[in-house]
Amino acid sequence: MFKYIDCIDAGSPYCPCELALKGECIICSQLHGKEFCDCLNWKGTCIYQEFIWNGYKSKKIREFKKFKIVKREYLREDILKLDIKVNKELSRDLNDIGAFVFLKNEKDAEAFSTPISILSSDIETDIITVVIKREGIKSKAIFECQDEILVKGPYFNGIQGQKYLKELKNNSCLILSRGVASAPTVLAAKKLKINKNEVYVLLDRGRSRENFSKPYFLSLGCIVEDVSFLNIDGEIKYEYKKEIEQLIKKWNFKTVLSAGSDDFHEKVINFIYKIDKYINFATVNNSTMCCGEGICGSCIIKGSNNEKIRSCKQQYNPKEVFLRGIN
Amino acid sequence: MKVVVIGGGWAGCAAALEAKKCGADVLLIERTDMLLGLGNVGGIMRNNGRYTAAQEMIELGGGDLFELADKCARHKNVEFPGHKHATLYDVIKMEPTVRRYLLEKNINIMFEARVVDVELDKNSIKGIYLYDGTFIEGDVFVETTGSTGPMGNCLRYGKGCSMCILRCPSYGPRISISKRAGVEDILGMRGDDSYGAMSGSCKLNKESLSDEIREKLERDGVYIVEVPKEDVNLEKLNMKVCQQYALKEFAENIVLLDTGHAKLMTSYYPLEKLRKIKGFENVRFEDPYSGGKANSIRYLSMAPRDNSMKVTGVDNLFVGGEKSGLFVGHTEAIVTGTLAGYNAVRWGLGLKTTTLPASLSVGDIISFENSMKENIEGLKKRYTFAGASYFERMKELNLYTTDDNIIEKRVKNLFIDGIFKERLL
Ligand SMILES: Cc1cc2nc3c(=O)[nH]c(=O)nc-3n(C[C@H](O)[C@H](O)[C@H](O)COP(=O)(O)OP(=O)(O)OC[C@H]3O[C@@H](n4cnc5c(N)ncnc54)[C@H](O)[C@@H]3O)c2cc1C
Ligand code: SF4
Ligand code: FES
Repeated sequence: MFKYIDCIDAGSPYCPCELALKGECIICSQLHGKEFCDCLNWKGTCIYQEFIWNGYKSKKIREFKKFKIVKREYLREDILKLDIKVNKELSRDLNDIGAFVFLKNEKDAEAFSTPISILSSDIETDIITVVIKREGIKSKAIFECQDEILVKGPYFNGIQGQKYLKELKNNSCLILSRGVASAPTVLAAKKLKINKNEVYVLLDRGRSRENFSKPYFLSLGCIVEDVSFLNIDGEIKYEYKKEIEQLIKKWNFKTVLSAGSDDFHEKVINFIYKIDKYINFATVNNSTMCCGEGICGSCIIKGSNNEKIRSCKQQYNPKEVFLRGIN
Repeated sequence: MKVVVIGGGWAGCAAALEAKKCGADVLLIERTDMLLGLGNVGGIMRNNGRYTAAQEMIELGGGDLFELADKCARHKNVEFPGHKHATLYDVIKMEPTVRRYLLEKNINIMFEARVVDVELDKNSIKGIYLYDGTFIEGDVFVETTGSTGPMGNCLRYGKGCSMCILRCPSYGPRISISKRAGVEDILGMRGDDSYGAMSGSCKLNKESLSDEIREKLERDGVYIVEVPKEDVNLEKLNMKVCQQYALKEFAENIVLLDTGHAKLMTSYYPLEKLRKIKGFENVRFEDPYSGGKANSIRYLSMAPRDNSMKVTGVDNLFVGGEKSGLFVGHTEAIVTGTLAGYNAVRWGLGLKTTTLPASLSVGDIISFENSMKENIEGLKKRYTFAGASYFERMKELNLYTTDDNIIEKRVKNLFIDGIFKERLL
């Protein structure tokens, strides 16, 4: 299988990073303990050269900055939507597939910093919109923010398999979405529409009357259908399996974007692979993250060959991670 | 049967052409928008022992590319320090000429297609992946990706990317296909025990030279002028790939050859110093663009092979050109590439692969280079018909001759005349 490895930060102003400094660069062999070139993915710049010309140092790490919350809105008692006024540079950067930030209440310790996907970023008003579900201690702390909040970013690895979304032009894409995981798919849908793709969304409304992202999808011109994917055993219901199969026949989707838990990704990918093994997948990144810089290791998952993947930075082919029994 | 050739330099063109002549289906994959690779900035043929080698190949039936180079010649029978009877082809005409020739022969060529990985089935390659994930299957593969660059190597072992014809920043890095197939590369060394070597010539824009120099160059093919005493730099010679040009004369003199551009026989030359010389006041570099600072780094990626050019450790991978050893030169690339293409087809048909006899220079260099690579001293040398130790050996073994009749007889007596012309399927 084609080994798809990428570092989302490679070639960006944040590259070379601390990993390069410590000889752990994801892409560059010369910055990974080797003495000769054997880079795993070429994005138009030589990371080793950037490192040498930067004085054998890594670039500066992203830092928290304080911004104003301009609107707080409860979509449900446990789902909060925040509009935050950031600066031009950040709003511009965050208007991209897979964009996310770390949020934190100023009074809390560093360990509270929480990765949150961008639902939309308005590059005229510089207002970013995020949706947070109250789950554990970190998200609870964000709910306590009233007027101001600390934001660290931009980060871009909120969606895996981005290559398969970015290469779609005049094509069609199916989005299968559940719960708050649908937030990053709205921004993805926006970019897909700009590239003249048809976007078909099966949107699980969960416990709410309607998924909060539905109006966003509609205003982008996506076709949206409300569904309730899972039966009591947590399996995709027969009726939706049938429907997905029919949609694939009719639309010939090249890429399916799965937005739910990892368990959901696994079910979706294994099911669709059996219908058409050439369909590519993109998945919302659900890893637990702490630093976002590839350092702390809390986001590490295992790839198909048991290799460690720092999923806050590294892009992988979702098939390689979620397909079972095929290699 | 499908032969896939990776890398469209002189070696790759030769391999593709030969495999096609044998009757195979051939796909040639090149990462840039041009064939010939370093051949776009070279031009010297038939100097010293290369004359013998070219004639041997013609007698063997593998002379097409030499004849094309003769046709594109700007000058024949040129002499310059240490070198006799050179032909200088026009680098501007050469690439389109070869390109048309290969296309006329119905060889499929993919441009701007960088190969990044292989799919293995035990010890044999099932197919290769392009940078965008496209999978291409084949029966036999020939790797002729050269040994130059990419950027990290040109930086670590040289003085950074000098923006040469390979244009790595634009087209992405060369990678070692054999290594992706699980075979460790062999590395060339320098006199000082470090790795790689720097390319030994660069090109000046001819229009930027004075009328007088340009006219003389275009008339004689060569122009020689003394380097100001304070600027003579003998040390640069040690870094150089082309040991056949690592002579004191090339440090003490500026030697220009007319290959379409003005070929300057030194690795790099600070522009400021160059412009001090009479007639060079407006001079600028044509290749590498930053030839005032550095040049490309080579010989960091050779695959272990046998004398039929098959890679040791992979069933269906053959190599030619710089990928196959410490060979310097177009002639050397064409010779090794042709044999690789020929044996790739034989292997694909289940026939025994062949070697070239050591009584011909083209056979001897292949086996001699292979045996020399076994020790460190041998890894510090380069092998070319054109000079340095191998040309000495050619003379000692009586292989060197410029008498076409003798060469014809030698090949005929071995009963292998025309073998590279025969269809195998
Ligand atoms: C400045 C200079 C001047 C020279 N002058 C002369 C001269 O006058 N006479 C002479 O005989 N020799 C000369 N040489 C040496 C000679 O050019 C080389 O030894 C010879 O051409 C090497 O041929 P090759 O096919 O092995 O490699 P290359 O010419 O390096 O060709 C390799 C090709 O493979 C392609 N490639 C690499 N990786 C990939 C990939 N992953 N996927 C697809 N394609 C890939 C490259 O783009 C390139 O086109 C000169 C060399 C230099 C640098
Ligand atoms: S000098 Fe040539 S080979 Fe070296 S990095 Fe630059 S373009 Fe590539
Ligand atoms: S979140 Fe810290 S290494 Fe990925």
